[in-house]
Amino acid sequence: MKLKKLLALSLVAVMGMSIVACGSSATESAAPAEDNGAAAEAPAKEEAASGDVTEVELWHYFDASADAKAIVDWVDEYNSLQNDIHITATYVSREELMNQYTIGALSGELPDIGMVDSPDMASYISLGVFEDITSQLNEWGELDKFYPGPLSSCMDADGNLYGLPQNSNCLALACNMDLLKAAGYDHMPESLDEFKEMVAATTNPADDVYGYAMCAVSTEEGTFQLLPWLRSKENGKGVNVDDLTADSAVNGLTVLGDFVKNGYMSKEAVNWTQADAWNAFAAGKAAMVECGTWHLAQTDAIAGFDYDFCLLPTGDKGTSTSTIGGENFGICSGAENLDACVDFLTWLCSKEKEGEWAVTAGKIPTRSDSVANYDYEQDGFAVFVDEMNYAQARGPHAEWPRISEAVYTACQSVFVDGTDPKDALTKAMETIKPIVDANPLPET
Amino acid sequence: MKKRTIIAQKRREAYGFILPAFLYVLLVMGYPLVYNVILSFKNVDVKNLTKGGSVFVGFQNYIDLFADPTFRLVLKNTFVFTIACLVFQFTIGFAFAMFFYQKFKLAGPIRGMILVSYMMPMAVTGLLGKNIFSNAGLINNLLLKIGIVGPEWLVDTGTAMIAVIVMNCWVGIPFNMLLLISGLTSIPSEVYESASIDGANWGQRFLHITLPMMKGSIFSVLMLGFIYTFRAFDLMYIMTSGGPLNSTDVLGTYSYLLSFTQYQFSKGAAVAMVLFVCLFAVGLFYLRLLIKEDD
Repeated sequence: MKLKKLLALSLVAVMGMSIVACGSSATESAAPAEDNGAAAEAPAKEEAASGDVTEVELWHYFDASADAKAIVDWVDEYNSLQNDIHITATYVSREELMNQYTIGALSGELPDIGMVDSPDMASYISLGVFEDITSQLNEWGELDKFYPGPLSSCMDADGNLYGLPQNSNCLALACNMDLLKAAGYDHMPESLDEFKEMVAATTNPADDVYGYAMCAVSTEEGTFQLLPWLRSKENGKGVNVDDLTADSAVNGLTVLGDFVKNGYMSKEAVNWTQADAWNAFAAGKAAMVECGTWHLAQTDAIAGFDYDFCLLPTGDKGTSTSTIGGENFGICSGAENLDACVDFLTWLCSKEKEGEWAVTAGKIPTRSDSVANYDYEQDGFAVFVDEMNYAQARGPHAEWPRISEAVYTACQSVFVDGTDPKDALTKAMETIKPIVDANPLPET
Repeated sequence: MKKRTIIAQKRREAYGFILPAFLYVLLVMGYPLVYNVILSFKNVDVKNLTKGGSVFVGFQNYIDLFADPTFRLVLKNTFVFTIACLVFQFTIGFAFAMFFYQKFKLAGPIRGMILVSYMMPMAVTGLLGKNIFSNAGLINNLLLKIGIVGPEWLVDTGTAMIAVIVMNCWVGIPFNMLLLISGLTSIPSEVYESASIDGANWGQRFLHITLPMMKGSIFSVLMLGFIYTFRAFDLMYIMTSGGPLNSTDVLGTYSYLLSFTQYQFSKGAAVAMVLFVCLFAVGLFYLRLLIKEDD
């Protein structure tokens, strides 16, 4: 009987939890851990806090070794430069931070300054997570120095600004020159047709080597890497995500689908993150890989072969398409110390700091007047800086996550189930069309 | 007259004792539940969560969901996952319970060790599963040793669910075993002894003594197992993220996807309600059984 009562009790508890869990799974584990680096500085912080100092809480999700250390150093430097404002940087995992913004939109529990992936910013602006700081930034007077693409991702539909783009990146192609040479090529692919040839020629099942590797995972990361192929230029024409049934988009997806079908690209791409795809390339298991600017800071992982970078060969010879990535920092709604936050933000995104950050973290500055003196992989950075001319933004659109899901789902159904690319993209448009009809994408 | 006031006073005292628990349930379970019900009948999304302007749309979210093939797949997945897990973890768990109930050397320590997989956080189990079932993972490596090229477990829509079910059973078997062993201990050994004296063999003893006397425990284990499994979330979230192509998405993960990735809060709430209603029905059925047995 005791057992039965116990069971009945646990039943009641479980029933209740099943519904509460759906709404609050994020809050339970929300206690963010402070950066190791920042924690070590604790005594210094206490000292600073005892005076008449404005405290500012900053949450970020930098987790690669280079930028995780850089943000701590940067914050320390800012704190030591003046005595009025004290910034505390706290690391929160990306997923957790996004959940915190969603919950914080209702509860109001937000940091003072928050980091956000550029395509997600429009949704959080719409959710009221970030504060409109247009007038403060206009007063600053340096807005015209920012590249329009990254800056637009911090704006709402009316052009009001809610933050600043802190770093920028895009996608290009990394090639294993040894494998290309072995297959009889002394150069990197310059067009989609040549790329198809090279991928087929470098695939070697006997050594578990695929011609091409990329990330097609069912998250924003997958959409990020898939979009260049859907927005490719064919016969001089390319389309945006509001017209994915166009020939150029269908052709781009057909090429990738054929890679999987013919065994030139691993089907596991649908579970691979960008880091997984890069690791396969670095280990010599893929002749070519779609990679991001930040990978230039990770070339030491490459296992003893000759490598080089080129523009993504997504379409006609002489054209390329790529996706703009990057992180923004916004000031959260209800931040009491708005002026202090703006002061730090404008320092973080100043001409000098933008250039330094790009070198340290392997990114591209968001300002045209910043100079990044890369002291490694200079040729690689030159390719990515050139690729930025062809790179397109995602949105900005408040419902971008739904568009993004439709895009990666269409591509995954081609890779996993062998769905016809045209059918898959037609189905994606059934989701995307009503969204962009109600709120069109900005002109590119 | 005096007696009546004493009774009334005692009753008031009794209510006083219930009050804290009642308030707790009201606040911690009642509030989110009511909030969720209301949310599921509105059209709250990324555009109007904080800016206002959301309206009641009746059953529109539910109609949309049941018209959506993805949701129907998710609903099917949830039942397939739950029933398959129940069948395997119950039968294997029962066999283990019978075996480890026997008094032999090391029975206790081994029983304890089997429990380790139950004590492991689901997130760890999910990560383990991800490695074990990856293309070049443990299972495919073992298969290769005997000359079989294993399937792409987590990449194919047909096999991903199998992998998730196996990992869940790995956790569920010790849970079933534990509860069933405590059921076995409640059967007096005299019953078996007299049955043996009357000449009943092992099979007869199992069918006519063990099973009938375990009826209560078996129902409890199955019901609790159903509820635990039906509301699965963390295993899929870590191991497959619901993919590929929603083939391992269950109501829990799908509700999360709609609410926290796509900001379709009302649709997410409606999915959570479907999950709740299914569990509520099972819960009522179970409570009725308990009450009936007590009578």
